Amino acid sequence: MSDALRQSLDLSVFWEYRAVLLHGLAVNFYVFAASAVVALGIGLGAALLRVSRLAPVRWIGTVHVEIFRNAPEYIMVVWVHFVLPLLLSLLLARRLEFDPFVSSVIALGFVYSGYFAETFRAGIEAIPRAHIEAGRACGMPERLILWRIVLPQVVRRMLPESLNQFISLFKATTIVSLIAVPDLMYQVTMVTQQEMRPLPLYTGAALVYFTVIFAAGTLLRALSERWRSKIYA
Amino acid sequence: MSNWHRLVWNQRDALLAGLGVTIEVCAIAFAFAVVGGLVLCLLRMYVKPLRPVAITLIEFFRATPILVQLLWVNYVWPSLFGFPDSFFAAAWLALALQSSGYLAETFRGGIEAVPRGHREAAYSVGLSPFATFWRVTAPQVALAAAPSIVNQFTVIVKSSTLVSVITVQDLMYQSQKIVNIWYEPIEILTATAAIYIVVIFAVSIAGKALADSLRSRYGIAAA
Repeated sequence: MSDALRQSLDLSVFWEYRAVLLHGLAVNFYVFAASAVVALGIGLGAALLRVSRLAPVRWIGTVHVEIFRNAPEYIMVVWVHFVLPLLLSLLLARRLEFDPFVSSVIALGFVYSGYFAETFRAGIEAIPRAHIEAGRACGMPERLILWRIVLPQVVRRMLPESLNQFISLFKATTIVSLIAVPDLMYQVTMVTQQEMRPLPLYTGAALVYFTVIFAAGTLLRALSERWRSKIYA
Repeated sequence: MSNWHRLVWNQRDALLAGLGVTIEVCAIAFAFAVVGGLVLCLLRMYVKPLRPVAITLIEFFRATPILVQLLWVNYVWPSLFGFPDSFFAAAWLALALQSSGYLAETFRGGIEAVPRGHREAAYSVGLSPFATFWRVTAPQVALAAAPSIVNQFTVIVKSSTLVSVITVQDLMYQSQKIVNIWYEPIEILTATAAIYIVVIFAVSIAGKALADSLRSRYGIAAA
């Protein structure tokens, strides 16, 4: 027992491979950043569909949100990586393959767009109608109303909620190791197979992820509190 | 259409068996998560000397990705603690640990939301602290936290797809096995994704209905 504990906490193997592992962690951040952009863009689109005046358009938004909010990330990543290229190949009549990185960004982006759409929608619906009507009364075009009146308020309102979703998204990026994106978890598995020492490597990985996510979460929450209190007053 | 028949319908026994394992893992994990979350929450709130330990555990479980925790529990715990002794046990244990962290915070929020006056009223009519907790605080917490608790169950179902990575034969595992036999992923993976989406959607609808009916029966308006 004490021997196993000492082994788990003996992180020298982890330190030995620091270059590879750090690079892996960077890949986690790349996947995170790219899928966050995709998720925010599609999420905003879906939210706008859901508050549309036309019922069929609203249904499309609702179906989008319900599918992606209820889909497990892992099956979506696998589906996008193995099924989507085949379907597109059939459709375009030429052979197509996705880079694992592309697949994971598409999959995670779409899954999280469902969550972000709901957050955006709640933010949009919380805006007093009078603000939008005032914009119209001044003769602002709809797009300008969206960018100048609606979105600035939505962003401030949804900040605390979306922080949690960003953190979930970052945690979900570990899944991409399963389709061989060389992220930290993937590298840890590779090094484990080489060194045959799972104890320190997996413990180290858990500690690294914990440190990064806990620190980022605490810091971002504090920052967003400050930012909100400054601007709202 | 014949492909669907061959790859999905003819494999229904394997898929159903996998779904059964998924449900089993999730149910066990959820039960342990509720108990574990309650214990962590009570330790954090009422047992002063153990408070830092409880906070560390809660934060660690919450801030570690489930895949990392799953592999950590699976590969490291057996040597450290002599448990879990099977992949199945590692699977539900990892899912339970993660969710217990989240549920502990949910319960804490619920307990802190119970007005002080209720507890003081209970003390003043002579209820013991234990009776006060079980008869006055806990029912209110359960009602207020019901939606989050159900939501946590859907999170467990979603995360449970990952237990296939440590060869627990759940739905995901079975469907990937079929893919590896035939090398025709379109139908089977699409069907699997659809099954998961429908199951999780159904769970969240049923859970929301249950939570709403509980709340309307016991006097808190549905949110």
